[in-house]
Parts: sequence; C-alpha cells; structure tokens
Amino acid sequence: MTVATGTEPIVKEVQIDARPETVFGFFTEADKLTRWLCEEATTDPRPGGVCLQTHRAGESRGDQLFHMRGEFVEITPPSRLVFTWGFDEPSVGVAPGSSTIEVTLEPEGGGTRLTLVHRDLPEAELPSHDEGWDYQLARLVIAAAGGDPDA
Amino acid sequence: MADMQHAIDAIAEPRRREILRLVRDAELPAGAIAAHFADVTRPAVSQHLRTLREAGLVAERREGTRRLYRARPQGFAGLREFLDQFWDERLDVLRREAEREERGKTDDSGNRN
Repeated sequence: MTVATGTEPIVKEVQIDARPETVFGFFTEADKLTRWLCEEATTDPRPGGVCLQTHRAGESRGDQLFHMRGEFVEITPPSRLVFTWGFDEPSVGVAPGSSTIEVTLEPEGGGTRLTLVHRDLPEAELPSHDEGWDYQLARLVIAAAGGDPDA
Repeated sequence: MADMQHAIDAIAEPRRREILRLVRDAELPAGAIAAHFADVTRPAVSQHLRTLREAGLVAERREGTRRLYRARPQGFAGLREFLDQFWDERLDVLRREAEREERGKTDDSGNRN
C-alpha cells in the first residue's frame, strides 16, 4: 500500500539590515525582482494579480528559459505576502499554482527578519498515480530551471 | 549537487522517463523493458538503464543471469535539497540587494552613517 504523505515545507529565515518596507518591494516590483530572483519580471501586485518571471537555466541546460507564472494571493505591506509558484512550459508539465510561497517580514533591531515558507513540494516517495509521477518528474525539471541562476 | 544534476540529465530524455514509469511499481528484467520499445535497440535501452542507475533513479538486482530493475524513490530526494539550496542562495542575494537599497535611501535623505 502506498500512503500519500504531505511534505514538510521548506522554511528559510534571513536577517536583513533594511526595513520591511524596503524588503517588501523586492517581491512586488519587477525591477527589484530581477536584482535577485530572475532575469525578467512583470508584476501586478494585488490579490489575484499575476507575477511573471523568466528564469534562465544554467549552461548545462542549454541556457533554456523557463517562465514562472505566479498569482499573488495575499499582499499586506510591509509585513506579509503569499503567492503561487508554477511554470508555463508544457515540457515542464507543472501547472501554475502548484506550489505556494509565503513571506513574512518582521521588524527586528532596525532591520527585518524575513521568513520564507515554500509549501506543497513534491514528495520523496514515489507517487502512486501517473499524474503524481509526471508531477514529480516535472518538478525535477523545474529545479533545473532554477539551477545555476548565475551561470 | 552533482547527484541532482545527474538526476536532471537522466530524466531529460523521454525514453528514460518512460522506463521510469515501467519500473515504478514493478521490478522488470532488462529484456522486458527493451521489449516495450519497438523503435529502440537493446544496447540503447541498456545504456538508458545504466544512465538511470548511475543517477540513482533505478536499482539493479541480479538474479542468475538476469538483471532486474526497479525505480528507486530515494533517488528523487535530492530535489528538496536542491530547492533548499536554491532559496538559500537567492535569499542571500536578496539580503545584499535590499541592504544596498536601504543604504541608497538613507544616503538620499542625507542620513549617512
């Protein structure tokens, strides 16, 4: 019997010497997103608004471009935002909306404590259905899309 | 991250993905796997199996003269590690850029340290 178990989210914390107001813009403004996360970005920062990001795979993947299509779910400046994370490419096979990222910004010591939680990640177990299996394989390909972003 | 790159390269080939599906729930001999592909030579299938095995995505077991293959779930566990590192690296860049932005703002207001 295969038991489906939810995966633990990836949780990251980082301390930044900048106010939450400053950090928040790096998730909602296109010209700031391209400074740390992706090559190109288009954003419509309101609930239901779309966030498009172009990620370039590393040289080992032929410098292929992958298009992240996310949707802002919750925007509460300067303390919290939630958006979905998925890719357009049929070859990748992961529908946009398949994972969720939650970012919390708390003022601390004149700076910001940032917490990022990436949920709905694929499982280490083999999924029991073809659909889940395709999903799992596709996630590996996506990982390649995010790999070596500076290569 | 070498293991992860191996896994990614291994599944980039459609036939290797098909092989993974075949051996997902059942352990199969190489011959049965090769028989599934009308348009692929037996040596080519052997090479695909070898690539998958080296990437840690399938396990090989010998039974007499037969070699049996089965998908290896733990071979996929590297993805989590990869994403984990991806966010570490990206957030490190974010921290630098946000701090640079903050200093810029401070400088603009004449509030220099």
